[in-house]
Amino acid sequence: MTDRHERRCALLQARELVNGDPSLVSRRCWTDQTVYELEKRGIFGRAWLFLGHESQIRLPGDFVQAYMCETPIILSRGQDCGIYANINSCSHRGLPVCRADHGNARRFVCPYHNWSYTVEGELATIPQEGALAGKPDKSKLGLKRVPRVESWRGLIFGSFDPDIIPLEEYLGDMRFYLDAFLGRFPGGIEFMGAPHRWVLDANWKLPVENQLGDVNHGAFLHSAIIPREAQDLIEALGYSVVTSPGHGATFRLMPADAPVDEVAWGMEGMGGMFGGAEVQDYLREVQARAAERVGPLRARMKGLTYGIYPNLSFLWSNASFKVSHPRGPGKVEYWSWAVVPADAPDAVKQVLRTNYSSFFGPGGILEQEDSEVWVQQFRGSNIDFADDRPYFYGLGLGEEAPHPQLPGLVSVTANEFYARQFFLRWRDDLRAVEGGV
Amino acid sequence: MNSIAAITSPEQQRALEAFYYREARLLDNRQYRQWLQLVSQDVHYVLPARVNAQVDNRQHGSEDMISVECELEGAESMGCPIREESYMHLMLRVERAYKINSWSENPPARTRRLVGNVELMAKDRDDYAVVSNFHLYYARPGSECFIYSGQRRDLLRAAGDQFMLQRREVILDYADIELPTLGLLF
Repeated sequence: MTDRHERRCALLQARELVNGDPSLVSRRCWTDQTVYELEKRGIFGRAWLFLGHESQIRLPGDFVQAYMCETPIILSRGQDCGIYANINSCSHRGLPVCRADHGNARRFVCPYHNWSYTVEGELATIPQEGALAGKPDKSKLGLKRVPRVESWRGLIFGSFDPDIIPLEEYLGDMRFYLDAFLGRFPGGIEFMGAPHRWVLDANWKLPVENQLGDVNHGAFLHSAIIPREAQDLIEALGYSVVTSPGHGATFRLMPADAPVDEVAWGMEGMGGMFGGAEVQDYLREVQARAAERVGPLRARMKGLTYGIYPNLSFLWSNASFKVSHPRGPGKVEYWSWAVVPADAPDAVKQVLRTNYSSFFGPGGILEQEDSEVWVQQFRGSNIDFADDRPYFYGLGLGEEAPHPQLPGLVSVTANEFYARQFFLRWRDDLRAVEGGV
Repeated sequence: MNSIAAITSPEQQRALEAFYYREARLLDNRQYRQWLQLVSQDVHYVLPARVNAQVDNRQHGSEDMISVECELEGAESMGCPIREESYMHLMLRVERAYKINSWSENPPARTRRLVGNVELMAKDRDDYAVVSNFHLYYARPGSECFIYSGQRRDLLRAAGDQFMLQRREVILDYADIELPTLGLLF
């Protein structure tokens, strides 16, 4: 064991950030500015990135702000009801032309010289041109459009790579697991309100890893709140799945004869438990029809955490979508939304959102522990004289395997293969743009 | 309601301020269980989310255009407040503080609350609608120090010779939350 460990360290000294398995991950993956620049080009410049949900922009003129890595994006519903994503930066002097988090607009106007743009991103007016002989070609001066925008089940993604594979192909078998949730509700889901935006001195990848498959930390980090017996039950029924490197899901597969209240989504949250009969009846009704909507196997699924490469997370158990927006190697803007079934009555939605906010988000009873860990992990990664001690990612190495009913590689939740698979893809993406290094 | 000034006698004002000073002292001394005794069992405790709102051009020239209320996603909204809690939530937070594995507060952060601008806004029999401002200094071990700035909109109920907290809405002065946690007792 010691020999293997030393051999792996030697590989790292040969400028390897992530070893072959990859069971060792360098501290510099989390802290290095050069690595971060490679991440921007190799990952955020080439992947499908989550922008928002269609429920946020229902009507022509509706818009929300989004980010693709550090690049500010306006996501809008055009007058033609199409979905548009443009970089929020004026073609004249670069100021943001949209200054509100969300709303409805006919025009986006730059405050400096009042160049104005349509909600689709076309340049509409240049106030100065009436006084001048030369007329700029406005058709070439619109906001920079995100070249690829596609949505699936209401989830909108954009990519800076015009040649990227279609979104559905990118999501691949994650659609099977996402549909287990999204397909449960007759009207799909909707996002409630603006995202909670939490800025932390942490690297963007650790919140992602936390939500990609790290169920196991619950018994330890969260033991002040989560009873050991509850965590043991989660792990006894729990599966961890990687559909393709970087995409993963964890969930419980409940016994076929489990009572409806133990299977139904939402019942285990604070809102579901204490929110009253109307909420519980609604949740039971959804579960009663789950098998006909998503099939008998997925009706028994009681999800935990999901991750979509590179930085989208979905926390099924606490009804939240999250995006980890990088702000440099040591800063992250972590966004989270409560998600609720679109067809639920307003009063039920207002209770169900507390399934998220009670435990997660910037005020959450559980996530205050996670955020502290993310900050402390960045500090631990950024110390001197420890670069010969990469992080050990070898728990459960090779113990994952295909499953007869569940797409992807499958294992127990203590197996860290979800994180190893993430770093395999991460390493490949960085290598693709390293150029000669 | 200009009669408020009339009903806010110096004694009344002093009693309200004394309640808030005591509350701040208990929280800064980490005597959370004693603080919880000032909280009604049917308390409603809300932190609205706060956004960078779009200015409605049709409201130009009016106070409504830039009102604080336009920025809030509170309990009645179809947005998502950062916290909307019952006595049970607050009890969980209080009990968590005394467990050895509440890691983000182990060792505990040092806090100092300054409460001011205490103003009685309305009174209906035993119910007092009171607003106050606060600055909360927060120093987590081995970390930076942070200032939390905000307003509390409370409903206090007189019970015997003391007040009980029935409702609290905490208006924080942030849209992007550059603070380690909003899970504190404000």
